[in-house]
Amino acid sequence: MKNAVATGLFPLLFLVQLTVSTTPLHASEPLAWNAARFDRELAPLLATHCLTCHQGKAPKGGLDLSQRAAAFSGGESGRVITPGKPAASLLLARVEASEMPPDKPLPLRARKRLRAWITSGAVWGTDPIQVLPSPAPQRADTEWWSLQPLTRPPLPATQHDNWVRNPIDAFVLRRLRAQQLTPAIEISPSQLLRRLHFDLLGLPPTSTDLLDFTNHLEKNRETTIHSTVSRLLSSRHFGERWARHWLDVVRFGESQGFERDKLRPHSYHYRDWVIRALNRDLPYNEFARLQIAGDVLAPDDPESVIATGFLVAGAYDEVGQSQRSKAMRAVVRQDELEDIVGTLGQTFLGLTVQCARCHDHKFDPIQQAEYYRLTSAVGGVRHGVRQVISPSSKQRQQELIREMTQLRGRLQTLEQTAQNQLLATQTGIARKLPLRVQPVARWDFDETLNDRIGKAHAIQHPAARRSGGALLLDRDKGYAATPPIEFGLTTKTLEAWVQLKNLDQRGGSALTIQHLNGQKFDAIVFGERESRHWMAGSEGYLRTRPFAALPETTTETLVQLAITYQQDGTITAYRNGKPYGKPYRVTNPLTFAAGKWMVLFGLRHGAPAAEKQLQGLLDCAQIYDRALEPQEIETSYLLETHRISHDRVLAALSPVQRSHYKQDLVALQLREETLKNHAAYPVYAVTPKPAEVAYVLSRGNPATPGKAVSAGGVAAVPGPTADFGLSPQAPDAVRRKALAEWVTDNHNPLFSRVIVNRLWHYHFGVGIVSTPNDFGYNGGRPSHPELLDWLATELVASNWSLKHVHRLIVTSATYRQDSRVRPECLLRDAENRLLWRRNPQRLEAEALRDTMLFAAGQLNRQLGGPPYQDFTTFVSNSQFYQITDPVGAQFNRRTIYRTWLRSGRNRFLDAFDCPDPATTAPRRVVTTTPTQSLALLNHSFVLRMARHMADRITRETGPNPSDQAARAVLLAYSRPATDEDLEPSTRFIQEHGLAAFCRVLFNSNEFLYID
Amino acid sequence: MHRREVLSFATRGIGAVALTDLLLREGVAAHEVTAPESNVTGPHFPPRVRRVIQIVLCGGLSQVDSFDYKPLLRRYHGTPLISPHRPDVFFGQVGLLRKSDWAFKQRGQSGLWISDLFPHLSQVADELTVINSMYAETSNHTPATFQQNSGFRLNGFPTCGAWLSYGMGNETDELPSYVVIPDPRGVPAGGSINWSNGFLSARHQGVVLRGSGQPLDDLFPEEPIPPATELASRQLLANLNRRHLQQRGTSDALLARMRSYELAAKMQSAVPVVANLDRETALTHRQYGLGGKATADFGRACLLARRLVERGVRFVQLFSGGAFVRPRINWDGHEDMVRNHGREAARIDRPLAALIRDLRQRGLFDDTLVLFTSEFGRTPFAQSAASTLGTGRDHNQNGFSVWLAGAGLRGGFSYGDTDDVGWKAVNQRVHWHDFHATVLHLLGIDHRRLTFYHNGIQRRLTNVHGNVVKKILS
Repeated sequence: MKNAVATGLFPLLFLVQLTVSTTPLHASEPLAWNAARFDRELAPLLATHCLTCHQGKAPKGGLDLSQRAAAFSGGESGRVITPGKPAASLLLARVEASEMPPDKPLPLRARKRLRAWITSGAVWGTDPIQVLPSPAPQRADTEWWSLQPLTRPPLPATQHDNWVRNPIDAFVLRRLRAQQLTPAIEISPSQLLRRLHFDLLGLPPTSTDLLDFTNHLEKNRETTIHSTVSRLLSSRHFGERWARHWLDVVRFGESQGFERDKLRPHSYHYRDWVIRALNRDLPYNEFARLQIAGDVLAPDDPESVIATGFLVAGAYDEVGQSQRSKAMRAVVRQDELEDIVGTLGQTFLGLTVQCARCHDHKFDPIQQAEYYRLTSAVGGVRHGVRQVISPSSKQRQQELIREMTQLRGRLQTLEQTAQNQLLATQTGIARKLPLRVQPVARWDFDETLNDRIGKAHAIQHPAARRSGGALLLDRDKGYAATPPIEFGLTTKTLEAWVQLKNLDQRGGSALTIQHLNGQKFDAIVFGERESRHWMAGSEGYLRTRPFAALPETTTETLVQLAITYQQDGTITAYRNGKPYGKPYRVTNPLTFAAGKWMVLFGLRHGAPAAEKQLQGLLDCAQIYDRALEPQEIETSYLLETHRISHDRVLAALSPVQRSHYKQDLVALQLREETLKNHAAYPVYAVTPKPAEVAYVLSRGNPATPGKAVSAGGVAAVPGPTADFGLSPQAPDAVRRKALAEWVTDNHNPLFSRVIVNRLWHYHFGVGIVSTPNDFGYNGGRPSHPELLDWLATELVASNWSLKHVHRLIVTSATYRQDSRVRPECLLRDAENRLLWRRNPQRLEAEALRDTMLFAAGQLNRQLGGPPYQDFTTFVSNSQFYQITDPVGAQFNRRTIYRTWLRSGRNRFLDAFDCPDPATTAPRRVVTTTPTQSLALLNHSFVLRMARHMADRITRETGPNPSDQAARAVLLAYSRPATDEDLEPSTRFIQEHGLAAFCRVLFNSNEFLYID
Repeated sequence: MHRREVLSFATRGIGAVALTDLLLREGVAAHEVTAPESNVTGPHFPPRVRRVIQIVLCGGLSQVDSFDYKPLLRRYHGTPLISPHRPDVFFGQVGLLRKSDWAFKQRGQSGLWISDLFPHLSQVADELTVINSMYAETSNHTPATFQQNSGFRLNGFPTCGAWLSYGMGNETDELPSYVVIPDPRGVPAGGSINWSNGFLSARHQGVVLRGSGQPLDDLFPEEPIPPATELASRQLLANLNRRHLQQRGTSDALLARMRSYELAAKMQSAVPVVANLDRETALTHRQYGLGGKATADFGRACLLARRLVERGVRFVQLFSGGAFVRPRINWDGHEDMVRNHGREAARIDRPLAALIRDLRQRGLFDDTLVLFTSEFGRTPFAQSAASTLGTGRDHNQNGFSVWLAGAGLRGGFSYGDTDDVGWKAVNQRVHWHDFHATVLHLLGIDHRRLTFYHNGIQRRLTNVHGNVVKKILS
C-alpha cells in the first residue's frame, strides 16, 4: 500500500517531519491546524476509532466526541480535552496508554496526530463531524495497479508440474503452493460435461451428449474434452448464453422506464447483434468499437448502427425531456449523459467515471473535467429509432422496383385492351380509354355501409336507411358518417352516384369530407348557392364558385357527379363522365391530415340540420387520392353504368393473354414479397443530433457551467493519449470515433484486463478482480495479478478472440476441479480466492427456466427475432404491463428472448435474482428466500413444465415407474440414476404420479446447483 | 453462534439479521462469503421505532389546501404572484393566486392547523408532526416519486423499504419484510420501480399483497394438488436434498435452501391469516370505513397494514392513487382542485384517522412510525392563463407538506415555513435526504453508515447529503 502514504490520510510533509529530523525546516513546516485540516485529518480519525461508542443519545462513559460542545465538556470522568495542554487532556492519556480504543490501540502516527492537534489548540471543524464528505483516508493514484501498462508475465516454474494443463494452471498452482494448498481432484465426467454445458450454453447436455462424452473420455481424455469444448463454442446457443451476461452489464431494457415506460419494440436488434457477434467471435476490440461508434464508422452497415444500441440501452425520461422548464430539461439531459458515460466507463474500462460528475473522483485519479470531456465525446448521442438498410438491399430494392414498374405496365396494357374491347362490344363505343383508377375508399351500400377498400366504414344517423343497394336520404331523416380517416389527403377526387328526390331542394350534400370539428369541408352540394346546380361546397363559400353549367333536370335516374381538386387549387366538376361547366382556381385549397377528418353522406357539414341535408338516394360514393384526368372520370362513368367489373375485364382476356397476365401477376407478387425482405427496417439505436458543447458543471449543476471542454479521455489511463486534439465544437462523428479509438487501443491496459476478468468471473463465480465494473480503489484487488495480465496479453495476441480465452479457461485443470469442500483448505482460504476447488453455482433465473423447458421437451430453439411477451399491456398516457404466464410454443423460447421491461418485472425470474434492468449488474447476487421456494413449488409455469416432462417421459419410456424415474433423473440431473435414487422415486411415482415427481426434482438442490 | 440460531430468519437486532443475510447468500460456507452484503454492525444508537407504515399520495397533495395554513393567500386571492422571476412551472401556466377551497382550523390541544379537507384526521392532530418546508429537486412526477422513495431521481436505486429490509432484516419468519399495497384503482407510474431493490439483492424488493383473492403470488399451487401428494412431495424433497448434501459435504447454501422450504410452509399458514380481515370486529370495520363506498379500499389497506406491522413486518407502503391515466385516479389536480382533492381525501381521511387511533390503542405507536408523503406539492396560484383564476393547481417542487407520526416525535407540532403564500419553503427547509436521514435516525440508524457498495461508491439512501431534522424529535 505504498500509495497510501503519498496521497492519503497522512500528508507527506507531516510524515517527513516526524521521521526525518535532518530535513531542513522550510521543507517540512507543519501546516497550521485549522478547521479544514481538522476535517481532513482528525475527523476521520475520530470517526474511525472513537465514534462507534462515543456518540449518540447514550454514548459510552457519557462522552460524545462527535460534536464540539459535547467533546469539550467531556464525560463522566470530567473534561478530556484541554486545548493547548496535551498533558492535561485525559483523552490523549488514555489513548497513549493504549487503553483507548479498548481492543485496537491507535497506531503511533495517529496518536502523534492527536497530540499535535491538542497541542496546537484543538481547533474544531465541521460540527458535528461529517465523516463521509471528508476526503477519503486513502485513494488510488496513477501508481494504482490497474493503471499500469500491460506486460506479459513470465510463466512460473510450476508450469512443469504434472497437474498443469495450460499456463493458467501454473499461475494458480504457484499461489496454492505458497499457501500449502493443493488442487482438488478432477470432477466426474458427467459433472464436468454438465458444468461445461451450463457455462458455455446455459443448457444441460442431452443424454446422447452424455453417453458420447463418457465413452470417448475413457479412450482419449484430452482430445475428447477439447473437441467437446470446440463443439460447444461453435453452438449457436453459446451466443445466447454469453449475450445474457453482456446484457446484464449494459443495463439492456426494452421499455423506456420512468413515467411513460413505453415499449421499445425495435430494441431487440441489439440483443440479436450481441448474440451474432459472440457466436462468430467478432474480435473484442471491434465489438467494443462498433458499440461506441458503429453508426459513424460504418453508416451504411445496419449491423454497425444496431451495435450502438449499447449507448441507448438505458432508461429514457420522456416526460422529463419534454417538460416546459428548460432548466429542468437540462438536468434530465445531464442525468442521461451520466447514464451513458457511466455505463461506458464501467463496461469497457472498469472505471467509475460517473463518480466525478460533481467533483473530482474521491478515490480514483479521475478529474471532474475529465468526466465532462467524456460527456463531450458522447454529446451527440440521443435515444431514438432509425431506419437501416444494407447497401445490397438498397440496390436490390431499386432493381425490384424497376422490375415491378415494368410488370405493372404490362399488366395494365393487357387489362386496358380487354377493358376497351369489352366496352366496345357491350356499348358500341370504341374508345381508347385509360384503365379504371383504384379509389382509396369506396362505399357501394350494397349489403352494408362498409368501405370496400379500407377501414372507413360508415355508420348511419339516426334514421337513414339502406335499401335496394343504396343509402336512402330524406330530409329530417338522416345521414351517414365515418369515424376519423387514418390517411391524409391533399389532391383528391370526390365521386357520387345520386338520384335526387326533387329539384327544388337546396343545400344538401351528396358527399362531404370535413375536418373533425365540422368547420372546414369540401363537398358535392346541390342547389345551395344557385338553385338546381351542383357546386363544390365549402365553409363560407371559401372555395365555392359557380361552374356555369346547365341546371339539373333529372330525378328519374342516377347521375354521376365528380369533383377533382388539384394541387394548384383548380377545381373541376363532371357530370355523367363529361365536364360540368368550367373549372376555376382557388388560392386556398384545403388539406386533410391523417386522423383529422371524416366523411359524411347526405349532410353538408357539422351538426345535422334540415337545410344541410340531401333528399334522395346515394347509390355509390368513391374518394380518390388525386385529381383524376377527364378520361379517367369517363372510364369510371362508363364502367359503372355498364356494370363492367374488374373480374369481367379479366374474364375477357384471351387464353394466351390470360396466361401472360397470370405469369406477370405471379412475378409481380413474388417481387412484392421479396421487396419486404429488402425494405429498410426500424432499430432502436443512437440517433445522433449535433453534439452539444460540454462545460464543466460546478457541483454537476447545469445552471452553473464552468469552462468549455473538448472530447477526451482519462489521463491516468496509460497508453493512448487522453487528449483527442479536438475543439469543443467538433462534430459528433469525430468525437465518438476518437473515443472508440481511445477505449479500444491495444495499449489501454484496462480494456483487455476488464474483459478477461469478466469471462473469468462467469466461469468461476468470482472474478480475479471480484468487482468486474470497478478496477479502482474501491474495487477488489486481483487475486492472481500475473494471471490476469497473462490472459489479457493472450487476448490481444489472439487478435482479440474471446473464444480463445474461453477455451483456455475451460480446458484448464483449474476449471476441471471438483467442487467439494476440503476442511483443511477451508481453514487456509475460506473464500476460495486461490481456487483450491471450483465453486458450485446455482442456476441463474434464465438458465433455470430454460432447463425446465428443456427437461419438459418444450424448449423452442428459435434464434433471434422479436422477443416473446409474457405480459398484456395497455397505454393510457403511460404504458402499463400485466405480467402473465402465457402458454404456447412461441413463448417457450430461451429466456434471453423475454421482452425485458423496466416496470413490468417477472416475479418468477426475480425470485431467482434477475437484476433490475434499470442499472448495470456486473455480478448477480444469489439469494435464498421462502418466496423463492414458494415460486418454485407453486408457479403455474413450474407445474405446467412438470406435467409436460411427465408426458414426455411416459411417451419415451412407457408406463413402468422405475424406467420413468430413471429417465426423469437423467433429464434433471444429467447423470444416470442410482439404486438409491430409484427405490424411493419409484414408490413416489406409483402413489402420486410422475408429474408430482418432476415437480419435486425441479425443487431439489441437485437440479438447481451445478458442481 | 449455533447453526439453528444463525439460520433463523427471526433473529433479533440489526447485527444478527445482517449476519443471517450473509449466510443465506451464495458462498456455501459461512466464512466463504466473498463480499459482505452489508457493513452494518449494530444499531448505531437505540432505536425509537422498529417498523414503518408509509402512505404515499401519488400526484402531489396541495399543501395550501391541507396542512400549510396561509391566511395571506386568502387576502391575495385573485391577484398575481409578486415575484422577481416568472415561476418555472411544469405546464408553464401561471394564473392568479388562489385561496384554499377548504377552511383551516386549529385542531386538538396543540392547535395544529389542518383544513377541512381532512376532518377525521384533524381529530388526531395531536399525534401528527407536520413538516411544511419540504422541497424537491424536480416537478416531474415520476422522478420526484422515485426520489421520495429512494433518494434519487433515477431508476435503479433501492427504496427506503428495501434499505430497511437490507439493513434491519425482518422480525418475523412468516411474512416478507417489505410489503406493498397498491391502490386497487391502479399501480403508480413506474410500477415496481417504486418498490425496487435497485442494486440490493432481489429479496429486498417490496412484495405486493392484495386484500382479496390470493393475497400473495405463488402462495399456493395455481392448480390444486391433493394434500397427501403435497406432504409426500415435501418429504421426498427433504430426503433428496439431505442425500445430496451428504454427497457434497458441508454447505450452508444448500442447508439454507432446505430451511427456506420450512419457512415457506410457515408463510403459507401465516399470510392467509393476516390477510383475512374478517377476523376483525364489526366495530373495527366501521371505524376504518370498510362499509363506505369511498373509504372501503383505503380502509382495507390501512387495516391490513396494521395487521402486518403487528406481526413484525418491517416496512409497509400504501399507495393512495395510481398512475396518470384518464380519468384521473390520483391527487394530480390540474383541472379542478375541489373535485379532485375532495374525491381523493374522502377515500383516505377516515381510514387514516382510524389507523392512528388503532395503533395508539394497541400500543403499537410505541415502536411504529407512520409517514404521510407526496412527491411534491401544488402551486398557490391557479394553473390557468395569466390574469385568470382557474380551478386547478400545477406541480410545486419548491414547497410542500408531509407528516410523520409515532414514537420519538413531537406530536401536534409543525416544523418549517413556506413564504407568505405557500410557494417556496423559506425557513428550515427540508430535502428528501433530510427526511430520510430523520426516518433512519428514528430507526436507530446513522444514515451515513447504512451503505452498500455499488459501482464504485458506498451507496446510501441519502446519497452524500442529509441532516437529521432534530427539532421534530421528542
